[in-house]
Amino acid sequence: MSNQENGTKNGKPVGSVMVMGGGIAGMQASLDLANSGFLVYLVDKNISIGGVMAQLDKTFPTNDCSTCMISPKLIEVASNPNIEIITRAEVERVEGEAGNFVVTVKKYPRFVREDRCTGCGECINVCPVDLPADFNQGLNTRKAIYRHFPQAIPSTFAIDKLGTSPCKAACPAGVHAHGYVALIRQGKYKEALKLVKKDNPLPSICGRVCPHPCENACTRGEVDEPVAIDFLKRFVADLDLYDEEPYLPEVKEKKEDKVAIVGGGPAGLTAAYFLAMEGYPVTIYESMPEAGGWLIYGIPDYRLPKEIVRKEIELIEKLGVEIKTNVCVGKDVTLKSLKDQDYKAIFIATGTTKSRAMGIEGEDLQGVIPGADFLRRVNVGERPDLGETVAVIGGGNVAMDTARSALRTGAKKVMVLYRRALEQMPANPEEIEEAQEEGVEFHYLVAPVKIIGDENGRVKAIRCIRMELGKADESGRRRPIPIEGSEFEIEVDAVLPAIGLSTDLSFLNGITDDLKPKLSRWQTIEIDPITLATNVEGIFAGGDVVTGAATVIDAIAAGKKVAVSIDRYLRGEDMAAGRKAQQPVAQPKIPCVQKAPRARMPRLDPEERVKSFSEVQLGFSEEEAIKEAERCLNCGLCSECYQCVEVCQAEAIDHEMTEETLELNVGSILFSPGFETFDAKLKAEYGYGRYDNVITSLEFERILSASGPTTGHVVRPGDHKEPKKIAWIQCVGSRDASLKRDYCSAVCCMYATKQAIIAKEHAPDIEPTIFFIDIRAMGKGFERYYERAKNQRGVRYVRSLVSRVVEVPETKDLMVQYVDEEGQIQTEEFDMVVLSVGLKPRKETEEYAERIGIEVDSYGFTKSKPFDIVSTTREGVFACGVIQNPKDIPETVAQASAASAEAQRVIAESRGQLVRVLEKPPERPVTGEIPRVGVFICHCGINIAGVVDVEAVTEYAKTLPNVVFAEHLLFSCSTDATEHIKEVIKEQKLNRVVVASCSLRTHEPLFQTCLEEAGLNKYLFEMANIRDQCSWVHSEDKEKATEKAKDLVRMAVARSVFLEPLYEFSFQVAQQALVIGGGVAGMTAALNLADQGFFTYLVEKESELGGQARKNIFFTPDGLDAQSYVNELVEKVQNHDKIKVFTKAQVIDYSGHVGNFTSNVLVDGEKESIQYGIAIIATGAVEYQPKEYLYGENNRVLTQLQFHKALATGDDSIKDLKDVVMIQCVGSRDEERPYCSRVCCTAAVVNSLKLKELNPDVNVTILYRDIRTFGTKELYYKKAREAGIRFIRYEPEQKPEVKASGNGLEISVFDQSIKRNVLLRADRLVLSAAIVPSPTNKDIAQVFKLNEDADGFFMEAHVKLRPIDFANAGFFLCGLGHGPKFLDEAIAHAKGAASRAATLLSKKEMFVGGRVAVVDRKKCAVCCTCVRACPYGVPYIGPHGAAVIEPAICRGCGVCASECPGKAISLQHTTDVQVITKVEGLLEESLEGIVPSQASN
Amino acid sequence: MIDVSYYPGCSLEGTAKDYRESIETVCERVGIKLHELEDWNCCGATAAHSLSHKAAINLSARNLTIAEKAGMDLVIPCALCFNRMKAAEKVLLGPYRREYAYRFEGSIKIWDLLDFFCQDRVKAEIARRFKRPLKGLKPVCYYGCMANRPPTITDARNWENPTNMDELLSFLGAEVIDWPYKTDCCGASHVVARPDIVFNLVYKLFDMAERVGANCIVVSCQMCQANLDMYQDEISKKFNRDFYFPILYFTELVGMAIGEKQVNRWLTKHFVSAKPLIESVGLNL
Repeated sequence: MSNQENGTKNGKPVGSVMVMGGGIAGMQASLDLANSGFLVYLVDKNISIGGVMAQLDKTFPTNDCSTCMISPKLIEVASNPNIEIITRAEVERVEGEAGNFVVTVKKYPRFVREDRCTGCGECINVCPVDLPADFNQGLNTRKAIYRHFPQAIPSTFAIDKLGTSPCKAACPAGVHAHGYVALIRQGKYKEALKLVKKDNPLPSICGRVCPHPCENACTRGEVDEPVAIDFLKRFVADLDLYDEEPYLPEVKEKKEDKVAIVGGGPAGLTAAYFLAMEGYPVTIYESMPEAGGWLIYGIPDYRLPKEIVRKEIELIEKLGVEIKTNVCVGKDVTLKSLKDQDYKAIFIATGTTKSRAMGIEGEDLQGVIPGADFLRRVNVGERPDLGETVAVIGGGNVAMDTARSALRTGAKKVMVLYRRALEQMPANPEEIEEAQEEGVEFHYLVAPVKIIGDENGRVKAIRCIRMELGKADESGRRRPIPIEGSEFEIEVDAVLPAIGLSTDLSFLNGITDDLKPKLSRWQTIEIDPITLATNVEGIFAGGDVVTGAATVIDAIAAGKKVAVSIDRYLRGEDMAAGRKAQQPVAQPKIPCVQKAPRARMPRLDPEERVKSFSEVQLGFSEEEAIKEAERCLNCGLCSECYQCVEVCQAEAIDHEMTEETLELNVGSILFSPGFETFDAKLKAEYGYGRYDNVITSLEFERILSASGPTTGHVVRPGDHKEPKKIAWIQCVGSRDASLKRDYCSAVCCMYATKQAIIAKEHAPDIEPTIFFIDIRAMGKGFERYYERAKNQRGVRYVRSLVSRVVEVPETKDLMVQYVDEEGQIQTEEFDMVVLSVGLKPRKETEEYAERIGIEVDSYGFTKSKPFDIVSTTREGVFACGVIQNPKDIPETVAQASAASAEAQRVIAESRGQLVRVLEKPPERPVTGEIPRVGVFICHCGINIAGVVDVEAVTEYAKTLPNVVFAEHLLFSCSTDATEHIKEVIKEQKLNRVVVASCSLRTHEPLFQTCLEEAGLNKYLFEMANIRDQCSWVHSEDKEKATEKAKDLVRMAVARSVFLEPLYEFSFQVAQQALVIGGGVAGMTAALNLADQGFFTYLVEKESELGGQARKNIFFTPDGLDAQSYVNELVEKVQNHDKIKVFTKAQVIDYSGHVGNFTSNVLVDGEKESIQYGIAIIATGAVEYQPKEYLYGENNRVLTQLQFHKALATGDDSIKDLKDVVMIQCVGSRDEERPYCSRVCCTAAVVNSLKLKELNPDVNVTILYRDIRTFGTKELYYKKAREAGIRFIRYEPEQKPEVKASGNGLEISVFDQSIKRNVLLRADRLVLSAAIVPSPTNKDIAQVFKLNEDADGFFMEAHVKLRPIDFANAGFFLCGLGHGPKFLDEAIAHAKGAASRAATLLSKKEMFVGGRVAVVDRKKCAVCCTCVRACPYGVPYIGPHGAAVIEPAICRGCGVCASECPGKAISLQHTTDVQVITKVEGLLEESLEGIVPSQASN
Repeated sequence: MIDVSYYPGCSLEGTAKDYRESIETVCERVGIKLHELEDWNCCGATAAHSLSHKAAINLSARNLTIAEKAGMDLVIPCALCFNRMKAAEKVLLGPYRREYAYRFEGSIKIWDLLDFFCQDRVKAEIARRFKRPLKGLKPVCYYGCMANRPPTITDARNWENPTNMDELLSFLGAEVIDWPYKTDCCGASHVVARPDIVFNLVYKLFDMAERVGANCIVVSCQMCQANLDMYQDEISKKFNRDFYFPILYFTELVGMAIGEKQVNRWLTKHFVSAKPLIESVGLNL
C-alpha cells in the first residue's frame, strides 16, 4: 500500500482507521472520523452496511421509521470520499501496534463488479434461484443475485455462491447441471438448452445414455433421492431438437487453419462442434457409412433411437463441419496425407471398437458372437439367429445392451453371467432394472471356463465355475476367486461375451515414426492429460482411444478439452496455461426439507418392449419436468446459469471473481461487529421452529416493515391470517442462567412495547399482551413511552414468565401457559406469539476478537479498561455498540462517537495526512453567457429505456429552446458516462446541464461533482426523475410514460435556464473549544479535545473541579475506586497546557455562529472574553432531596448516595446494623418526574452487596417496582438474590409506609408477590432518590438558547441518531445534563461529544452559503415573521434594521422565504423565478415565451 | 455384534414383563448382546431418595460399580432406574464423591435404552434386517419425563422437545406425528393414591393425541405405558369419550419392522388391544 510509505514517516502515526462492522455504530464512527480528517476503511462481512438497524421497522420511543433515519446516513457514508467501504470482507489478522497497525483483510468475491454495477436490478428478474431472504429473516425468498434492500449501500448487487454445485463439479464435461435444472424450474427451456450446449453438443443423446455422475453427487440424494438431472436434460434437449428452429450457437469469424478429426464418435463430434464455433474449417473422417460411432453402431435403438443421434449430428454439420464417411484413415487416407492436405491440427478419436476375447476354450465355436459385433449387426438391421437360450458374459452396459437386444431378436431365455455380485456390477442400475423387468436372468459370482460345442461345431453348453469375493483389487472392487470344485454346466444355444472393448490401432500401420503417437502398454494413445496433445506436434487424441472404453460424457469432455487446446495451438498460445484451477466445490449443509420422491420416467410396458426395438423410456411431460426440477435444493446457492451475465448491459457480472487479500495500514482500529439475536430454538418450550405462528421479534419487525415480506401487513406466517391476539414473551435468551445467558439484553422491553403499539397502528383490533418479568424502561423517554403504551395504547402487560406454549392443532393458535399475579395457573389462547429474543455477540466475533488480539468475557462481550467502556485490552483498538454490552441505538451512536474520539486521540497528530481531497479545476465564469443547455437522458440499462422511448425523449429535448446538445446514455452514472459528460460540457461549452434519470436524492451529488470537474459551478445542474416517476410507476403504458418523461425534461430545461452559479464563502474556524461544567463528563471531554490538540476552555461554577463524582461517588458497581480516578482526572486537566480552567466562573453571553463564537466568562466579578468554534455543555445533575418517608425528619433515613458514602468511608455504625430496608423509585417514575433514574436499582443492589460484605449478618430488604439492572448489571442482581437480599415488589398505588418506632423504623408494605401486607423493622431506611437536572441548566439554556425536555434535561437534536448534538449548530451535550447515567456511561458520552466537536474543530475553514436564504434588506419591513417562523431560530433583526440570516447556520429549509409577506427573503437555488418557470414549463406544450430563447442570462 | 451391560430393574421382572420380552428378543435379533448385570440391586426408586439421599445414591452406586467392572456401557430400559443411575453417576463423579462407599470412574456410558437404539450403528443393524415399513401407523411419541429431565442429570440435549424416538420410528417407516405433550407427566405412581390426578393428566394426553390425528401412542417407559394403557376405558367413561389408543413400546415397533413374529404375543399383554389397529393398516404378521 502506498500509505504505508507516507504512514509512519517521521515516526508519526498512520492517519487512517479501520472500522470493523458497518452497523449504525460503525457508520457513525466512520463519519466522525472521516469528517475529522482521517481516512476510514469500513469493513463489513455482509454485502451492504447498515446492520440490524436497517432491518427494523420503527424505533422507540419516537416511533420514527428506521429506514427513513438510516438511509440518509447510508448515503452520507457512501458519498464521503474518506470512507472506503469494503464489504464481504473479514479481518484475518492484526499486526503492529497502536498508531501503526497492519491489518490483513480477506475480501470474498461479490461476483459483481462494484465499479460497473449500476444497481438497475435486471439480473434479479432472470435469476432462477430462490433462496431464503436473510434480510427478511427467511420469511420469504430472494434470488441468488441480490441486494438486501433498495437503499442498500453499496447499492450494487452480489451473488451468493458456496462454490461450484456438486452436480456440475461431478460432470466430466462440466455441464452446468444446477443451472439448467434451475432454468427448467422456471420454464426457461430454451435458456436451459443453451446452457447445456455451452459444454455439451449432444444433450439428447446424453439425456438417454449418460451414467450421470451428476446425480450420484446430487445433495438431494442425501435427503431422499437425487434429482433426475439427466432426464431433465433430455426433456429440454428433445424439446429443442424437435423445434422448428433448433438452437444453433453463434459461429465466430471464419478462420483459415484446417482441422481434421479422425473418428466420428462423440469425442470427434464434440471437438468438431466447438472448433467450428471458433470458426475453424473442420473435417471428420469416419470409416463407417455413418458418423456417430458407438452411438449408432453400439447402443441399441430401444435405448437411443438413431433418429436422435442423426438429428444432433445434423446440427453439428450445420455449423459447417464436413463429415467424410466411409473413409478409413490408415487405408483410404493416412495421417501423413492429412498433414500434406494442410490440416494444421489432427484429433484422433477412433474409440474402442474391438471386442476383448475371454481367452477360454471354445470361443471360436459357432454361436459365440462377441457382444459388440452382435450389437453392430443388430444396429444395421440384421437379426442374427441365436437360438432359444443365450448366455451373455459380463456385467457392464454392453452386456446389458447385448442381453436385452438378444431378447428382442427372438431369444426365449437370456441369462447374464457375471463373476462378481450385483453390487459390483458396473452397468447403470436402471439398465439392470429394466433388463430384469424384461425377464433377463442374472447369475452372479459365476465365471465361464469353457464353451462346449456339439458335433457340428455349434455351441451346446457353457461350463462355469462359482466364485467368491476376496480382497479388493486395484479397481477398488473385491476380487472374485474361483471356488474349487464348484464347476457346473448350462445348456445354451449361443454365447455372447461382452467383457470389454479395446482399441483398433490399425490406422497407425505403416506410418513413419515421426507421425506415430506414443502408445501405452494397454494399446491406448498417450497424451498430456491437460492439453490432450500427443508427443507428435499438431496431433491430439482423446476419448476411448486414450482411456479405453468409457462413457459418452467422458468422450464429450475430451472433445471439449481438445477444442480449447487446438484453438490455442493454432493461435500459438500456451495450451496449458490456467487450465488446472478449479473453483472449490460447494460443501452444502443438508437442509431440512419435505421428502419427495424422484419423478419416475414413464417406461414402455415390459411385455411390449421385448417385441421391438422401440424406445423404452418415454420422456418427461412438462409438468413432470418442472416438478422434478423443483426438487433441486440449490445447494451451491448460485446455479451458474449465466442468465445474469446475459442481461447485464453494464457487464458487471464476473463469475470468475476470486478471493482477495488486502493489507491495510491503519493507526487505530474500531471493533463494532454488532450482534445476533438469540436462537429461539434453544428455548424449546416456546415451540419456535415447531409451531408456525411462533416467531421471533426480529421476524415480527420485518412483518411490520413496509419493505418486508408482507409489505407491512400483519399476518401469521403459517396461514397468512390476520392475528387478533398477539402475545410477546420477554427475556427469551436473556436473564436465563440455564442457557448461560444470565444478562439482560436491555432493549427487549422497549422494542416489544414499540412492536405492540405499531402492530395496533397497523390493525387497530389487534390485542397485544406482553408477558414480562420487570419492565426495563431506563432510557431517555422510555418510561413515558411505556406508560403511554399501557394506559393509552391498550397494550396489556402481564407480569409473568411464560412456562410453555402449545399449539392448538385445529387452528394453529397457541395456548400460552403462565402463572398470573394471583398465583393461578392460566392457559390463554393467542393467534400469534412473538418471542422477544435477546442480543448476543455473534459466534464468529469471538474468533475475530482472538485474531485482533482483544479479550472478551464469557458471553463474548469485549473486556475494557476501568472507567473506559470503549477501550479494549489491546492498545489502539476500541469497541463500540452491542459488542461492548447490550444497548439501544442512541447509546450505540453516542458510544460510537466515543470510540471514534479515542481512536483519534491515538493518531491526532496525523490528522489530514491521508485524506482525499478532490482537485477541482478553476471555475469557468458563465455570467452573461447565453444559456447553452445540455440534456442527457439515461437508459438505466432497460430500467428506463424498457418503458420510456429514450430516443424520442432525446429528439424532443433537442427541440427545446436553449438546448444545444442532447443524447442518451446507457448508464449516465457510470464512470465512463460521467467522463463523457465532462468532455461534452467542454466541447459544447455547455453552461447548464440537465440529466434525466433517477432520484436527485441519490445522484445529484455525483453529477454536481461531474460539473465541478468540468469547470462549471455545481449549481448549474438540474435533474428530472424519469425512472421513479415515469418508467416505474407507468410501466403499463409506455406511450404515456414517454410523454410524461418529455414533460419532466421540458420542466427541467425551463428551470435550468434560470439557474445561477452560487458561491460558498469560507471563514476561519476558531479551532478552540468551550466546555461548560467541570464534572467528570466536562473534564473528560476537555481532556480528549486537548489531547487531540484543540485548545479548550473549561468553565466550572464551583471552586473545585470534579462535580458530583468527587462529592458522592466512591466506588463503582464493579468495585473500582472512583475517587482516585476523579482526582487523577482533575490533575490531568489542571496541568494540561491546552486546557484553561476557569473555576467559580460563569459564561454570561454568546455571539457568533458555529465555528466562530465569542463569549464572556465572569470570574470573580471579572469578565474575560473567549473565542471558540464549538461548545460542549456538561452541567450534570443532582440527587433529589426526598420529601417523603421521614427523610430529613429521622436520621435513620438516608438517601442512596449518603448510604454509599457511609459504606465507603467505613462508618463504624454499618457493622452494627441488623436490618436495612431500601425503597426504590423515590421521586422517580411518578407524576412529577415520569422518568426512570436508571442507576438506582444497580446502586441499591451493589450497595446491598457491599453492606453484606462488611456485615454478613445484616438483613437487607429492597422494596422495588421493577428491578432495572440492565445489560450485564443483571449479574449483580443475581448475586444479590444469591446473597440472601430480599426483594419485595410494591405498586405505586400502595406505597410503603414508614413510621419511627422506638429505636428504629417500621415499614409496612403490601407485597405484590404474595398479596399480603408485610411489616419490616429497620435500623436504616435507604431511599433511592431520583436524579434531577442541575439547577444551573436553566440559566445555561437561556444564555445559549438551548432546548430542555419536559423533565428539565437538555434536549438532543435527535433522540436516536444525534444523541450528543444540540439542534443548535456547534453545540454538543454530554453527561448527566442529558439524562441519568452511570459514571462510565457519562465518560463515554463525554468522549462522544469530543468526537462530534472534532468534526468541526478539525477544519481550518468552513464554507457557508449556497443553498441558503438571503434577505433583500431594502424590502424587509422588520415584521419579524421570519424570526418566528424559522424552526431553527436563525433570523434576527440586525443593526441595519432588517432581518439577518447567518448563512453559517441557515439550513436552507425555505420556511422564511415562503412566509415573508414582503418577499424580502428568497431561498437561493429555489428562487421564485426558478420554481415558476418550472411549473409553467409543465403547463405549456412549448417553452416559447416562457424561456427567453437564446436570451442572455 | 454390539455388547452391552443391561440393568432390567424391578418392574421388568413383574408388571412390565412384556416390555422385557420385547427388549431382549429385539436386541438379540438386531445383534445387540445384553449382558445382565450380575447381582444387581434396586435402583432406590422413589422410596429411597424420599427418605435418604445417601441411601438412594449408594443403592444405584453399587450397580454402577458392578457395571464398570464388567467394562461395558450400561443400558437401562426403565426411565426412573436410568434417572437414578445418572443421578448417582453425577454424585460419584462430583466433589462429594468421597462421602460415598462406592467408586465410579465414569469409564462407561449410561444409556437410556431408547437413546441406545437411536445410534447410527444400531439403526444400521435394524436396516439390515428390515422387513417392511410401518406404514399406516400414526404414532405420537410419548417420552415421559425421567429419561430426559432434568438435563443436568440426564445429559439430554433436547429435554423440552426430544426427537430421537420420532426419528427412530420414522426410520421404521411409521408416519410419526409431532405433538406438544411428548414429555408431559403421566401422573406416575399417583395412580395408586390419587387416580383422579392421573386420569386428568392422561385425559389431556389422549385428547391431544386424538386432535393431532394419532392412532397409537408409543412409549419407552413402562410406567407411562401402564398409566396410559390400563385406565383407558375408565378415562373414556369419565370424560364421556371413546378413546382407542394402543400404547406400544418402541421395541415392539422395531420388532414389527423386522418381522418378528413374537410381537403378536407381546401385544396380547396390553390392556388396549392393538389388533384392530394393526389389522386395519395391514401390519399383522
